[in-house]
Amino acid sequence: MKALSFNAEKCVGCKLCHLACSAQNEEVFNPRLARLIISSYYDREGLIVEGQVCDLCLECVEACPVDAIVVKNGRLSFLEDLCTDCGLCADICPNQVIIKKDKGIGICVQCRSCSNWCPTGALTFEEVEKL
Amino acid sequence: MTYTGNVLRVNLGTGKAVKEPLNKEWARDYLGGKGLSIKYLYEELKPGIDPLSPENKLILMTGPTTGTIVPNSGKLAIAAKSPATGTILDCSIGGHFAPELKFAGYDAVIIEGKAKNPVYLFIEDDLVELRSARELWGKGAHETEHIIAETLGDVVTMAIGPAGENLLPMACISSELYRQAGRGGIGAVMGSKNLKAIAVWGSGGIEMPDIRKFSAAMNKIKREDTMTDDNMWAYSDGTPMIVDLCQSTGILPTRNFQDGTFAEHEKINSDAVKNTLKAKKACFSCPLACSNYVRKGQSEVEGPEYETLALCGSNCGISDLEAIIEFNRLCDDFCLDTISVGNIVGFAMELTEKGVHDFGIRFGDVENFLKMPGLIAGRKGVGADLAEGVRAIAEKYGGQEYAMQVKGLEIPGYDPRGSWSMGLAYGTADRGACHMRAWPAAVEAFGDIDPFTSEGKAELVIGMQDDNSVKFSAIFCDFWALSTERMAEILSLLLEREIDAAELTKIGERIYNLARLFNEREGFARKDDNLPERVFNEVLSTGFTAGKLLPKKDYEIMLGEYYRLRGWDENGIISEQKKKELNL
Repeated sequence: MKALSFNAEKCVGCKLCHLACSAQNEEVFNPRLARLIISSYYDREGLIVEGQVCDLCLECVEACPVDAIVVKNGRLSFLEDLCTDCGLCADICPNQVIIKKDKGIGICVQCRSCSNWCPTGALTFEEVEKL
Repeated sequence: MTYTGNVLRVNLGTGKAVKEPLNKEWARDYLGGKGLSIKYLYEELKPGIDPLSPENKLILMTGPTTGTIVPNSGKLAIAAKSPATGTILDCSIGGHFAPELKFAGYDAVIIEGKAKNPVYLFIEDDLVELRSARELWGKGAHETEHIIAETLGDVVTMAIGPAGENLLPMACISSELYRQAGRGGIGAVMGSKNLKAIAVWGSGGIEMPDIRKFSAAMNKIKREDTMTDDNMWAYSDGTPMIVDLCQSTGILPTRNFQDGTFAEHEKINSDAVKNTLKAKKACFSCPLACSNYVRKGQSEVEGPEYETLALCGSNCGISDLEAIIEFNRLCDDFCLDTISVGNIVGFAMELTEKGVHDFGIRFGDVENFLKMPGLIAGRKGVGADLAEGVRAIAEKYGGQEYAMQVKGLEIPGYDPRGSWSMGLAYGTADRGACHMRAWPAAVEAFGDIDPFTSEGKAELVIGMQDDNSVKFSAIFCDFWALSTERMAEILSLLLEREIDAAELTKIGERIYNLARLFNEREGFARKDDNLPERVFNEVLSTGFTAGKLLPKKDYEIMLGEYYRLRGWDENGIISEQKKKELNL
């Protein structure tokens, strides 16, 4: 399986990844609905570049009590009909990149919109040894 | 359409904030950004007001591209009547404020009146609050931003520093520490209103039809038209690359424009800046990432941009890059425009060396150079005079013929004697000497067009002024060299109506003429479209421009042709016919 990987040294903080993700998955340009959190800002010490992305740890798959998150063809898949909105997956996600919605959740499905848009190659899909 | 349809109007005097509908008719004719903010100001400001009075208004304006995935659409226009020039003033600031404002649900914010005590404005979607800024007043913009982030968390902030509080005509507004709405004293307008900062957070988004298809089309444009050799200089070098261009063409301001080349230019050029580079940084939605986050010795800054390297470097006879970086950081924190301050300090150095008045600083004097931002921002010592700008300094002490300003705004980093079109661009720019209304040096001094002729320059400058008026209204960043056809293609999708390049060019012409009309109403005319005497009477002495000047008669020829092509009379007044044609 290939999971998203973030290289902070290459990131310029343009947020195109957030826009691409929200457009593809939520049909809106809204950075806060993206299934990744990339930030680039200055604190008192200087420039901070941080990224939280789905690295396919699969803790959400294990945590879901109703099997609404499954691995299918090497990607995560969310089955909305089964979801009971318990929120366990979002709470347990170590990278905090699962979005809670009014109905169901938003989860990285490895669609690659973000890496296709990333202008500097800071976001790439890399092979991970899982399953 | 990708407008939110909402304008937030905040009266600092009464403390009231109201949401009102965006004027759709004006939005059709002026798009957003520069054009639409000027339209609001033209309609709402009384002629002749003091720019630092409560009657002036500060407008923050986004555009139809703002907040979308359109490349290079992260900029915000900030407009008011200028305290430096008395003209219309629109500034452009990058970073992430503009999209955040749109996500909060507003196309624009109109700020009126004056608060009784220092406040800052906090906008969180529909929640709009004026909060006490008593603890922030007197602090630099950097500390102000840090404190607001620690208080409010994940917000985007714009702030002023001591320069704005002290109402300096070269006070800017800072955001994300190192992004500035730089010119014309826009920060003093905030200061005059007792408004220390504006913080915004938005939870919303922007919807449009076929958003996935639109995104795919934009990604193709990004790859094939944005991230190309024409534009990637921004990533590989950023604006410091212009140092060598200006050096080789002999238009690098040196020792207060006494020369057009700087012997030590290699110490302040792009290669020198690259040796200090820590990271590249971009504004929202920008794949070009022009910003250089640099560190040298104890100093760090996002910059220095070309204008800072030229005006605060060669123009002051300073080749110590670490000193320029520190000077840049100080100016950003105090919120001083580095173009104006570099020009002012260079002028003070020449006045001192010529024995006209002793400001205690000479060309190349690093130690005193580094004291200048603090003295000027605080109006302390020699800073009390310098804080008034070169026009006022010259009126008080002399040196008018080499006070390098137009309409009270200090000239940026391109000597008109080696780029005659830049002379015309400065003379006819709507906010005084500005290189962003038109930057014809790019195709003339740096390109194939003869820089030492008046021929064809009026047409060149007009075309660029109109194109940029559209660009800064849509809003696209200056650094994406996109065609008007490409702008039309993208705007047609965002505005959901067919719009072609010809219509956009007409909008650009309308915007530029409205800015002129605003200035005309304030009493500006041909007498003000002038350049300092040095440009007309003193030859440059080294490099490609050795022996060159811009003869006054050639300038007058260019200006006359410019007025004729614009449809303005010999005095630079817009004809009734032109006003009718443009629906002004």
